[in-house]
Amino acid sequence: MSAQPSMSHLSLHRLFIHTILLVTCFITVFPLVWMVSSAFTPNDLITAKAIRFWPENPTLANFTEASSRHPIWMWLWNSILTATLITVGKLLLAVPAGFAFGRMEFPGKQPLFWFVIATMSFPSVLAIIPTYIGVVKLQAFDTYGAMIIPSIPYIGFYVFYMRQAFRSLPGSMFEAAKIDGSGLWRQFTEIGIPNVIPAIAALSVISFMGAWNIYLWGQLVLEDSFKKTLTTGIATFADLEGTGQSWGPLMATSLLSIVPVLVIFLFAQRYIVDALAPGIDER
Amino acid sequence: MHSRFRSLAPYLFVGPAVLSVAIFLYGPLLASALLSVLDWNLLSADISFVGTKNYATVFSNVDFRTAAWNTVLYCVILIPAQIILPLLLALMIHSVRKSPMQGIYRGSLFLPTILAYSVAGVAWSWLFNPVNGLFNEIFGYFGFPPSRWHTDPNLALLCVCLVTFWKTFGLNMLLWLAALANLPHELREASQLDGASPRRHFFTISLPLMTPTAFFISVTTFFHVLDDIVGVIDVLTHGGPAGRSSSLLYFLWQQGLRFFQFGPASAVAMIIILLVLIVTWLQFRVAEKRVHYG
Repeated sequence: MSAQPSMSHLSLHRLFIHTILLVTCFITVFPLVWMVSSAFTPNDLITAKAIRFWPENPTLANFTEASSRHPIWMWLWNSILTATLITVGKLLLAVPAGFAFGRMEFPGKQPLFWFVIATMSFPSVLAIIPTYIGVVKLQAFDTYGAMIIPSIPYIGFYVFYMRQAFRSLPGSMFEAAKIDGSGLWRQFTEIGIPNVIPAIAALSVISFMGAWNIYLWGQLVLEDSFKKTLTTGIATFADLEGTGQSWGPLMATSLLSIVPVLVIFLFAQRYIVDALAPGIDER
Repeated sequence: MHSRFRSLAPYLFVGPAVLSVAIFLYGPLLASALLSVLDWNLLSADISFVGTKNYATVFSNVDFRTAAWNTVLYCVILIPAQIILPLLLALMIHSVRKSPMQGIYRGSLFLPTILAYSVAGVAWSWLFNPVNGLFNEIFGYFGFPPSRWHTDPNLALLCVCLVTFWKTFGLNMLLWLAALANLPHELREASQLDGASPRRHFFTISLPLMTPTAFFISVTTFFHVLDDIVGVIDVLTHGGPAGRSSSLLYFLWQQGLRFFQFGPASAVAMIIILLVLIVTWLQFRVAEKRVHYG
């Protein structure tokens, strides 16, 4: 037994690992590849073959067909609107709370912190019935407010993450401001926030992608086709018409719903990875 | 005046967050507890106290018992899979971390995690499609008879597991990767000098050092599995055929919001909360003995 494996053994081993990873990646991504190629393939050709990597007779017909049957561009707008407002709402709640929990001392701090953090373990379906009753009683059914407002308070992780971000700033940063007689509000807006921009960016991206993909709650409170978001619209699309005849338009609409999150993911991958798994890219 | 503001200020910062979770998360939880002992529907004005009747209704419902048993199966299949397979993938990616392929592996394996359930449902209902679907093509190639996959009573639950795994394993993989990246690499060099095999090094040094991550992953995976399967069930099988792929949370969803049985559905909510509390308590008890905090 030698401590150092020989060079050829080592590279064979690495080749083996690369092969397994490549195959796994291929299998993982395949359903999406098929979705993209089907979105551009004429509807009557789609089910003819089980495996397709590249569209046959490429066409945009599925997109025009989908938009003639359903208001998909309105769905796109609704998705952008609701995801943006939910994200803004979450940040407005979580950033100041994170600052107070991270940088201030006050009676009841620990219990209040745990009160907020414990909600991370609430399954999202658990609150759904009383919230739904509330929406119906307030006659808010089928409004953007019903979609947006109850989706905001799932902030346990956000508060935790912002508290970590503010806590990691050096105390000396704030000492000078205190000596100058700056109030807490100015310490928060002029020193705190500018120094945690990467953390806020990471949470914005995570929140936007999560809100973009809200499905069950949207299914429940949005009934008017013009109010639906892309992800809830797709489900009605599939349910109403059965998947049999309309794979093409369905794939086109699904692709439309993936593109924005995909673009954000590609550009902001670093931020997301760093928020979810800090330290991963340090070496 | 100024000093009073100073002492009140922290509460102004945390107030909105605390109030919003109190109103929208704890409020509904208490409301569910109340609804679970009442007989009431949205339309009628009569509300009556019925004690444990809703709980009795739920326990005598055969669909509830199927859903409860399925939830056990989902946990037994998915929790170990969601912990161990992402660890294996993370170990492989970590071992080739100096290769330019690393980012591509990580990105493409994380990709399904960013998709909506409805999109995942659309893609997979095609893969499972009995006519010309990919699964039947592949299995047919090896001589298996065609199957109905997610609409087959014996396979529906496994299909939900597969799609849930595909849709969510990326997060745990990232968490494991971060834990591996944060291990002090001097330790690997030291045990290499001692002649320890990589496997021995992993089990005796790396894994014990990663117990806080392992604990975090095992706790959150339990919550996520309960939550994630609901979306997949709704887009793929609607709990069918004949309730064979339903789960407790999906049963709650159906009872409450498809059949408007608020009382029984809220009773299910209380049962789920009790379950979550018990499992979390057990996990913390085990952790007290096993987890090394570095």
